[in-house]
Amino acid sequence: MSETFITDGAGGAALRRVGVGKARVVPRGDEERAPATLHDTFDGALAAAGLLLVAAGDGLWLVGLPEGPVHQADAEPGFVQDMNEGPVTAALRPRVPALRRLIPVADATLARQAMALIDDEGKTLVRVAVCAVSTGHGSATVLTLSPLRGYDRPHARLRAALDPLGDPEAALTALRPPAMRYTAKPPVDIAADMPARKAATLLARTHLSVARANERGIVADHDTEFLHDYRVNLRKVRSVVSLFTGVWSEKDTTRLKDRFRALMAPTGPLRDLDVHLLDRDRYMEMVPEALRPGIVALFDDFAKERAAAQAALARHLESDDYAREAAALEALLASAKRLKPGPAADVPVAPFAQDLIWSRYRKVCKRAARIDDATPDEEVHALRIHCKKLRYLMEFFAPVFGPSEVKPLVKALKGLQDTLGAFNDAAVQQDALRAVLERLPRRGAARIEIATSIGALLTVLAQRQAEGRARVASSFAAFDSPETRAGFADLFHRGKEAA
Amino acid sequence: MKIVACYSNKGGVGKTATSVNLAHALARAGRRVLLCDLDPQGASGFYFRVKPSKKLGDDRFFTDVKRFTDAIRGSDFDGLDILPANMSFRDFDIFLSRMKNSRSRLKKALKAAQGDYDVVLLDCPPNISALSENVFRASDAVVVPVIPTTLSERTFEQLVDFFRDEKLPRKKIVAFFSMAQATKKLHAETAERLRKAHPKRFVDVTVPFSTEVEKMGVHRAPVATFAKSSPATEAYDALWRAVAERL
Ligand SMILES: Nc1ncnc2c1ncn2[C@@H]1O[C@H](COP(=O)(O)OP(=O)(O)O)[C@@H](O)[C@H]1O
Ligand SMILES: [Mg+2]
Repeated sequence: MSETFITDGAGGAALRRVGVGKARVVPRGDEERAPATLHDTFDGALAAAGLLLVAAGDGLWLVGLPEGPVHQADAEPGFVQDMNEGPVTAALRPRVPALRRLIPVADATLARQAMALIDDEGKTLVRVAVCAVSTGHGSATVLTLSPLRGYDRPHARLRAALDPLGDPEAALTALRPPAMRYTAKPPVDIAADMPARKAATLLARTHLSVARANERGIVADHDTEFLHDYRVNLRKVRSVVSLFTGVWSEKDTTRLKDRFRALMAPTGPLRDLDVHLLDRDRYMEMVPEALRPGIVALFDDFAKERAAAQAALARHLESDDYAREAAALEALLASAKRLKPGPAADVPVAPFAQDLIWSRYRKVCKRAARIDDATPDEEVHALRIHCKKLRYLMEFFAPVFGPSEVKPLVKALKGLQDTLGAFNDAAVQQDALRAVLERLPRRGAARIEIATSIGALLTVLAQRQAEGRARVASSFAAFDSPETRAGFADLFHRGKEAA
Repeated sequence: MKIVACYSNKGGVGKTATSVNLAHALARAGRRVLLCDLDPQGASGFYFRVKPSKKLGDDRFFTDVKRFTDAIRGSDFDGLDILPANMSFRDFDIFLSRMKNSRSRLKKALKAAQGDYDVVLLDCPPNISALSENVFRASDAVVVPVIPTTLSERTFEQLVDFFRDEKLPRKKIVAFFSMAQATKKLHAETAERLRKAHPKRFVDVTVPFSTEVEKMGVHRAPVATFAKSSPATEAYDALWRAVAERL
């Protein structure tokens, strides 16, 4: 069985120095060196899997798999589902999220050299494929050892000699330019005794900077995840501002709320269209064959609209106004002292968080318990919002209460949220489709065709919404288990229950 | 799994050269090959730089399948493994009778040891005192290099007679001309005569006398690795095709 090691740039040289008894490592043939481009998803899905995807003149090389480098001549990096079939594409498929595009990370040099551990008679004992990738930022060497049958001992000794070579993760990270070292969920170090204002500032600052890291990708329109992550993180900032009551003065809090709402507002239309377009295949499956041409026409319209919305948002994000406002907000969050303190500013995080989470949890339980088949939809929506807020709070403060303690509670909550989400998505999609109906031209064959198809979609979506609605009670019952109750009380109501 | 023996009742006719190059050609053609070096001198192992097994001369060697599979070494070429020389003639006989009697067991054992070979090639030792019936029974094909000389003609006739007398299937014999020298009139005439006498035994392959083959000892590698388009390389390529056709 072959096996692959990632080391830093010195790995190849170190290999040549390795001695295993009388055996030594020698090159086999010439080094092949070529200019290339390192590719990955923006969030480094391949690097996280210990892989390097390199586009060179002779095609794509995927380096880091246990079996050694894999090559495919006729493929261009992009969305994996759009790439030509072949060994590289096949290896990428399970490792790259469908929504992510493989984009250029850095110009690189790819150097491949076959080497071998040979004995004193020149017999190969272990084959070693050396693949070195270097960019202007760093370099990594990937070694694949392929033992030959019957030479287990020299293989084990070579492995042992190579084991202390470099830190693979550091080597892979070093290849990326700073702007491409994106982490969607960076850890935020919140300590239990930190003043609440400081924690709020830290969280808001972190999420704003994660959001901003996506700007360039939104403008370049690489994939829809950039905008998605941008919005998720701005929503987190807004949640900090609105949920962390009393950390800042009322005036500053209101100002922040307004400014972050305004910052996010221009992204709405594009995201809505993205959501529709991503659902294209599902919509197609939802309607009978005969109505599909109408859906196709509808989505062609969406695509056109999306292109316009994308261009508009790109212009906005590149405008001086936007740059100024984003920088100003960053400056406000640069230190905990920029914004005026509110009454809770100096409360230590632990009790502050306990109060917030506990009261939100109680609200969720009270509202959920009331829901039956007769409850108006608005109340279900309200419950969904409360759940969402509770989830944010739990995630923000997980470091304080121990991620492993919080995790099962989040998981329980997520079950309930999934049901509410399905209900809500169906509702939102119906609203959007109704809006489309209203905007259709008054006459024409196309109108009839599209309108009929939308009618069919609305029926399916209404059904789906009703299904979600019907599951709310049972989902809540599942969430409201004795263990989960005890878990919440234990973590977020400690010592207060008795009182 | 097919068993192919490279055999001659005469020494120095090119059995080892044939085994080495045939094994290499088969592996290059995508077959998984195990070359068994049955010569205690370790000649074919030498060409692949594989050291003889330390268990040389150990009588129990082939009575134990695990020890057999553990002794297998990967060659420097994909799909080609070597069983280095390590036995006495007596072992060789026992080995073959075991192969003959329980081929499926051998096959199973090889499979379990990740050696699901398409072809097991036997490089037979010289000077086996008697014609080894076991070789012929165990093998699917018996590849016989024949130098086109009068002396070889006689030994080949003996081999064919033996097959006839022992009621062995003569179609297993795949003979070809080895070390043939185009300039020698005698070689051409003998070859002509033998072909006529045994049209079904001889395949249309002639490995010429070639300095490239001699140089294998210097390179310690199959001839195709250092003399890609030499007539000898082409002849061994033609030979594997002819053998494959008979299997
Ligand atoms: N086609 C050939 N041309 C020239 N020399 C050869 C050829 N085949 C074999 N030889 C040489 O003849 C000698 C005996 O060959 P070998 O293959 O060891 O025979 P065997 O295994 O039958 O004893 C070796 O030195 C080998 O290099
Ligand atoms: Mg020999």
